[in-house]
Amino acid sequence: MLFRKKECVAMILAGGQGSRLVVLTENTAKPAVPYGGKYRLIDFPLSNCVNSGIDTVGILTQYQPLQLNEYIGNGMPWGLNSTNGGIHVLSPYSKSESSEWYKGTANAIFQNISFLERYNPDNVLILSGDHIYKMDYSKMLYEHVKKKADCTIAVLDVPLEEASRFGIMNTNSSGRIIEFEEKPKEPKSTKASMGIYIFKWNILKKYLILDNEDPTSSNDFGKNIIPKLIEDNHKLFAYSFEGYWKDVGTIDSLWQSNMDMLSNDGSFDLFDGDKKIYSRNYAHPSTFIAKGAKIVNSYIAEGSTVYGNVYNSIISTGCTVGKNAEISNSFIMPNSQIGRNSVIKYAIIGEDSVVNANARIGDLPEFYDKSKWGIAVVGKDKVVPQNKILLPKEIF
Amino acid sequence: MKLMGIIFSNIYDSTLGELTNHRTVASLPFGGRYRQIDFVLSNMSNSGIYNVGLITKYNYRSLMDHLGSAADWDLRRKNEGLVILPPFASGHTGVYKGKLEALYSAVSFIDNPLYDYVVVCDSTVLCNLDFRPAIENHIKSGADVTVISNREPGNTKKHPLIVYADKKGRAQTLLLDSPAEENAYVGMGMFIIKRELLVAALEESHAKGQVHFEKDYLQKYFNDGKLKISVYEFKGTVLRNENIKSYYANNMALLQEKIRSGLFGKNPIYTKVRDEMPSFYSENSVVSNSLLADGCDLYGEVYDSILFRDVTVNEGAVIKGCIVMQGTRIGKNAKLECVILDKNVTVTEGAELKGTPEHPVIVKKGETV
Repeated sequence: MLFRKKECVAMILAGGQGSRLVVLTENTAKPAVPYGGKYRLIDFPLSNCVNSGIDTVGILTQYQPLQLNEYIGNGMPWGLNSTNGGIHVLSPYSKSESSEWYKGTANAIFQNISFLERYNPDNVLILSGDHIYKMDYSKMLYEHVKKKADCTIAVLDVPLEEASRFGIMNTNSSGRIIEFEEKPKEPKSTKASMGIYIFKWNILKKYLILDNEDPTSSNDFGKNIIPKLIEDNHKLFAYSFEGYWKDVGTIDSLWQSNMDMLSNDGSFDLFDGDKKIYSRNYAHPSTFIAKGAKIVNSYIAEGSTVYGNVYNSIISTGCTVGKNAEISNSFIMPNSQIGRNSVIKYAIIGEDSVVNANARIGDLPEFYDKSKWGIAVVGKDKVVPQNKILLPKEIF
Repeated sequence: MKLMGIIFSNIYDSTLGELTNHRTVASLPFGGRYRQIDFVLSNMSNSGIYNVGLITKYNYRSLMDHLGSAADWDLRRKNEGLVILPPFASGHTGVYKGKLEALYSAVSFIDNPLYDYVVVCDSTVLCNLDFRPAIENHIKSGADVTVISNREPGNTKKHPLIVYADKKGRAQTLLLDSPAEENAYVGMGMFIIKRELLVAALEESHAKGQVHFEKDYLQKYFNDGKLKISVYEFKGTVLRNENIKSYYANNMALLQEKIRSGLFGKNPIYTKVRDEMPSFYSENSVVSNSLLADGCDLYGEVYDSILFRDVTVNEGAVIKGCIVMQGTRIGKNAKLECVILDKNVTVTEGAELKGTPEHPVIVKKGETV
């Protein structure tokens, strides 16, 4: 069979179990976690690909893929249902001589070399399925090709005090990466890797095969492949990205990123410009806001019904907020029902959950010792009984 | 037993004035995120009717833009799907005057031996209806034509088609443009008919130069004793958008929980996906008793109104009892009451407009006021 050659194919690493988000992901892979009222984490890399002119995308997944598979479907919501290319969900499979799970990020790509070979791409873009940002990859690809780089890594300028939480790229004056340090105690630069890589395919393939032959390797891009490329004196460049970017792998960062949507200092730029973030839309009627409801500085997605009060919060599609309920500084995931008179503060309410009347969930940070305060979480498909009190940091 | 659907997109165009100057009634926006045709298309799709012909006459660019490949209604299919039937479909017929003529122009589409029955529908009667029990009823009744209808107790307005029937639902009297008295079944512009019978009727009426489906076919053949007609009573919510007044009133009716659940509570109603972000409600916004689609930015005050996608209401603006279509911008301190603002209207700072529910003010597409 003939496949049209592609300049660049994107591979999204979506295998993570999201152990830190486990209460919200009990039956979902992390990239299917809801975000921002009507999105799921995977919408961001997918929309970025489409908006950057990349029409061939592989999604690598192995943990509870059912809901993710269903959500992706044939890729139509993102315009990725094309005849040549399109979207492919790539799960581990048995081969004639072996069968194994994806052991690491590099191993996941290694196991799909034959998929990539079909498109014979010049370059491969490696993405992560749990980062929230809007980026035009075509600009990065342009720089990558212009500089004849073997690998280009997108970097974000982070505050020096936070740099030790990231993989830090040390570059020379021309932007070439001379050293990579994973979570350095004393960072020499503030250029943090965003986990977005463009590789020349022939180089990447060679290193994936070498990496697979090394029994001591943990088969990881950050730990093995990138350091090896630097060691072998390949041309690696940093590509500076400016704009909003957030890894939402934890409850706190997921909550914070949703709250960032509401900030009006201009730092949150995901919905600026003409390029949209696409998502699978369900047939919900318009949102109804009842008489007496009060909504302040909040986003409310289609298909919701609001009778109560909402402050500084995100209410997702298909939710109901009962009379006199009060929601503040919270993220309510799709199709949740919030009962009458319940009070929800600094919380995440999982998908398809019910909070019955008079429940109190979460509280303001002011009243608690710093170590005892955190976001209160109600998981997915949970029913919170009437009058239940859930303290900050507690998980139901 | 297989069914096909036929939908008319232009009936009542003339009674909806400015709103249908540049679009068909089928593509008239309704209820915050829908176009009228979404209801009948979703009903067909939800009832397993996947071969649907859409008869258009003029102004159908916006309709085609809305429908695209019809995938949003699950009507982009390998062997069936939505087919748009513009005029001149069969060479020797011109732009049609009545439904019968329109159907004749689509006779080559209709006369498909794979299908036993045809469901013929207008696009202005909005409801959430499952055609399957109606078909069952049609077959059981042994009638030639089933008129899908509802009861309108207390509503004595004139309706295009009124049927009086016996206890078994067999039509006794058929009246056109008449007020609905007690016991009247009010036609919903939806008919079930055997394909072979319809095709034969179309050939005959074409030869005789007849154009009107209800008058020249249904009523005439029924009165001549050549047609057995029965009614199927639909008991759910029915909204008829026949003119500007009813269009306005029916939009406002969606603010009632009962009407909303009647129209949206059963099967999903699909529409074109636009990927707008959720709507933003600012610090000083006031929104009360209103229906809002995605993509709105609210800084002013909104009461008893329907807002479509991507509407901006700026600081100090107050809108009350308004229908605001997609992409409209309302300037600071504007005051609007009972106004229908078509797509992409710009209301300048401080502008004031006031209509009444009987005579809402209409601002045409793309205008600045």
